[in-house]
Amino acid sequence: MADPTYRGAASVAREVELLARIAEGDRKAFEELYNLYHRRMARFLMRLTRRYDLAEEVINDTFWVVWRKAGDFRGDSQPSTWILGIAYRKARSAFRAASRLAEQNLTIESEPLTAETPAGTEELRDWLGQALVQLPVEQRLAVELCYELGYSCEEIAAIMNCPVNTVKTRLFHARAKLQRLLPQLATPTAAAAQAREGRAS
Amino acid sequence: MNMNMHMASAHDETWLLLPWLANGRLTGAQRSQVEEHVRACASCAQELSAQRQLCALLTEPERVTYAPGPSLRKLLDRIDDRTSVPGRAARAPVREPAPFGRLTAAWRPPGLAWAATFLLTVALGVLTATAYHWSRPVYATYSTARPAGEVLHVAFDRSLPFGEVEELLRSAGARVVEGPGTTGIFGIVPSGSVAPRAAGATVSPQLRVLAARLHGDARVRWIEPLPAEDSQGSPPQDH
Repeated sequence: MADPTYRGAASVAREVELLARIAEGDRKAFEELYNLYHRRMARFLMRLTRRYDLAEEVINDTFWVVWRKAGDFRGDSQPSTWILGIAYRKARSAFRAASRLAEQNLTIESEPLTAETPAGTEELRDWLGQALVQLPVEQRLAVELCYELGYSCEEIAAIMNCPVNTVKTRLFHARAKLQRLLPQLATPTAAAAQAREGRAS
Repeated sequence: MNMNMHMASAHDETWLLLPWLANGRLTGAQRSQVEEHVRACASCAQELSAQRQLCALLTEPERVTYAPGPSLRKLLDRIDDRTSVPGRAARAPVREPAPFGRLTAAWRPPGLAWAATFLLTVALGVLTATAYHWSRPVYATYSTARPAGEVLHVAFDRSLPFGEVEELLRSAGARVVEGPGTTGIFGIVPSGSVAPRAAGATVSPQLRVLAARLHGDARVRWIEPLPAEDSQGSPPQDH
């Protein structure tokens, strides 16, 4: 779901202004932009890697580029699309260097993570985290960009520097695989009921 | 048939777009078309529920939040390490030193430059001396025209016993002062000579007479050619 804090026109204008100041070497502006992005980038990178050191490396590599290249931002896209595009490239390289999971997962047929019904939302979210790690890196990132960060198909295509249809295809395969790994997602009503019961108790 | 194909196509297209209907980023006519299909298609409706649940799961507040402070400090340290002047210098294009500039930079500090220059000068001197030494011949043949001297170099028939050589020389009025070397060359002087004359002296008449005597003996295989009478110099030396 889109984060309203970052989606409003005012926040976009603020980020554009911050980038312009960073291009002039304004360190305060840089720190403000870093703090704006750190939490959500850390969150989605942690879900993808489960390693904070790797997530931090990707964030700092991304903002190292932002510091040096802020002057190259021309406003053709939203600042968040530009920054996440850098993060995507850094994350893809870092994840592949850290492990060859993405390539391995293209050939390994995974079993469902559990045959049991999750006890509640927290448990289902944990299983979802484990399932996401098993997706190829491009599919993982597409899922996070769509469902967590709330980007449109066109924005994800810009971030991943690929055609719109490629984004749709990546999500299509990711959804199919997630449903195999987490059958509970295919019957959301039952899972939601379980979750409600869990919260009530 | 066409209607069925149209339905299948609409279903596939809707299926692909459901994630963006779920995250609220589908707009306009596309959104209307997808919503219309979902109302009529049970599988798409179920998939939309699954997609919304996925969105809800992934956007729920995290149990753990990550403080940006320590990471930011690391990054700022990294920026400071690469920047002598905070701010612009990090982004300013680094001017590549010219090749000659790089070379001179390597000579710093000055003390090192002087030491290296001194060593280079010494090495150059040694190299020049060695090259001069190597350029000089390390041997000379007896037939090479050399300054004439007192010693006459001769070679006898190899089958000649040493005693017979002595007898031959005695009868010719000569005595051995050099050799024989590995090539069988003897250095001889007229019997009356006390010592070889200094280099640069002219050939003595006695030496010429001795050479003439030996020329007539068949047992003498080779006699060092002597310079002409009006020439200056010393005899060739055996090395």
